[in-house]
Amino acid sequence: MNIIKGSARVLGDEVSTDIHCSSKYLPGKDTAYIATVAFEQVAPGFAKAFKKGDVLVAGKNFGINSSREQAVHIMHQMGVAAIVAPSFGRQFFRNAINNGLAVIECDTGGISAGDVIEIDPSSGRVTVAARNITRAAPPLPAAVQALLKAGGLIPFLQKHPDWNLS
Amino acid sequence: MGHTIAEKILGHHAGGKPAKAGEIVVADVDFAMIHDARAGNALKMIEKLGAKSLPHVKRTALVLDHYSPPPNMEAANTHVAMREFAEKHGSPIYDVGDGICHQVLPEGGHLTCGDLVVGTDTHSTTYGAFNAFGTGVEGTDVSAVMMTGKLWFRVPDTIHIDLQGALQPGVWAKDVTLHMLSQLGAEGANYQALEYVGSGVSAMAIDDRMTLSNHAAELGAKAALLEADEKNLAWLKAHHAATPKPVKADADAIYTRRIVIDTAKLPPQVARQHHIDDVVGVPEVSGQKIQVALIGTCTNGRLDDIRQAAAILKGRKLAKGVRMIVTPASRAIYLAAMREGLFDILTSAGASVEAAGCGTCVNITGHYIAGDKQVVISSANRNFKGRLGNPSSEIWIGSAATVAASALTGFVTDARTVAGGDWRAAA
Repeated sequence: MNIIKGSARVLGDEVSTDIHCSSKYLPGKDTAYIATVAFEQVAPGFAKAFKKGDVLVAGKNFGINSSREQAVHIMHQMGVAAIVAPSFGRQFFRNAINNGLAVIECDTGGISAGDVIEIDPSSGRVTVAARNITRAAPPLPAAVQALLKAGGLIPFLQKHPDWNLS
Repeated sequence: MGHTIAEKILGHHAGGKPAKAGEIVVADVDFAMIHDARAGNALKMIEKLGAKSLPHVKRTALVLDHYSPPPNMEAANTHVAMREFAEKHGSPIYDVGDGICHQVLPEGGHLTCGDLVVGTDTHSTTYGAFNAFGTGVEGTDVSAVMMTGKLWFRVPDTIHIDLQGALQPGVWAKDVTLHMLSQLGAEGANYQALEYVGSGVSAMAIDDRMTLSNHAAELGAKAALLEADEKNLAWLKAHHAATPKPVKADADAIYTRRIVIDTAKLPPQVARQHHIDDVVGVPEVSGQKIQVALIGTCTNGRLDDIRQAAAILKGRKLAKGVRMIVTPASRAIYLAAMREGLFDILTSAGASVEAAGCGTCVNITGHYIAGDKQVVISSANRNFKGRLGNPSSEIWIGSAATVAASALTGFVTDARTVAGGDWRAAA
């Protein structure tokens, strides 16, 4: 997979995407609207400052609880290039891969908003050159990379209905 | 080197040999479920997939439980779309009032020991009580299952949990999970499977075992597996499930962690407001006043929960100023409870009984909206700030026994201290 490079936008620990990035508690609001107000309660002005191609850098258990797939659709709308966090909620992690959004697990301490962050999904290396930070995330398994490369599970199956992940 | 139940079930469904934790497998799924809170998304994903045919659609049940009854037009229209989909494709459907997905799937005989089952709900771990690998997924996953019968899985590591000794009367599986939440923390088992073993599990009735597997979702668990024994085999047979293929872990299976809990000595536990892992023994907070008592949900809305509540409230009245709502988890439970006279007892005591469904778990339907400063004690599974529609209210979480005992006194109460609090179904 290609190297992902972008400006870091930072969130804290235990951010629920159900609460902060879905219509679960905003009935009737569509994905386009939520993309303009996502994470507002935990990081005022976050969605407004977010630019296409930025990297979302979060704390532990990002996307905890019953995580709706819609959260990833909203993040695509915001232009999230990848997410880096020490850990993800299980369901969110799966939804991200199924919808073609790279999720990288590593320590995010010391990374600040605006830092240029570089991610190599194949090796798992995460670098913030300006701060001399290099972190080693577990490399994404080949099967997961294949899903991400296709743009997610649906485009993958449209091309490979036989599930040939190799 | 031996294998865990999770490694075996996923491996059996992905070519035959046991898989290894950490590996990605593509596995044959035996049964899938979509509920109404995710059906809007799932139906969109099926359309996006654009499959020429959905050969596995008859093994996917549609369940109308969260919006039960629908609180607005949008939800009502989702229900209409689900009914049309089921009619067109011949999928099993459980309509409003039939019950909660995790109750109606086992009751409907849709799963058995050794199966791989997915559902669009985190509490799909419930099926582990029947020695089936049950896990929560989303709409994209279920559309893939309907088209191909398969899905990708990362084979989880497993935590081994030995429950030593039968629970005391007045103490339930709910208390075991709450205790584990206090030890591991919410999401403390994230990405991992749990395997529950020991005399504490053997002594539990099926209703309580389902609570054990269900509530593992709050630990972040991917699955919560129990071994098969004569109790769950008999239950599955009575519900016309397919021939069970019981799966046991090997003696030399590799676990990431082993936990031993002295369940024989465990007192009732309660999670305090807003955080499911802020757990204390009920005796430590017995002065806490409550105004609302809720029994129901996929965690504790089963027949034994309602029987326990009725044993405590028989011939008595709720404490002054307390409101109580009981919501059976399924129509079958509703019927059984009615025939046993439990609703007579509960209604006479001052409680309200509602139609089967997700009910008062979360404020989607308006079944219960908390007022400012109200303290609710609930047998549900989650207590985030504002889950019952009001961030100025508190939700405390306990077993149905603790909820009923608290409704009787008006304070958080240890069921072991009230008459009837020691009820337990004969083994």
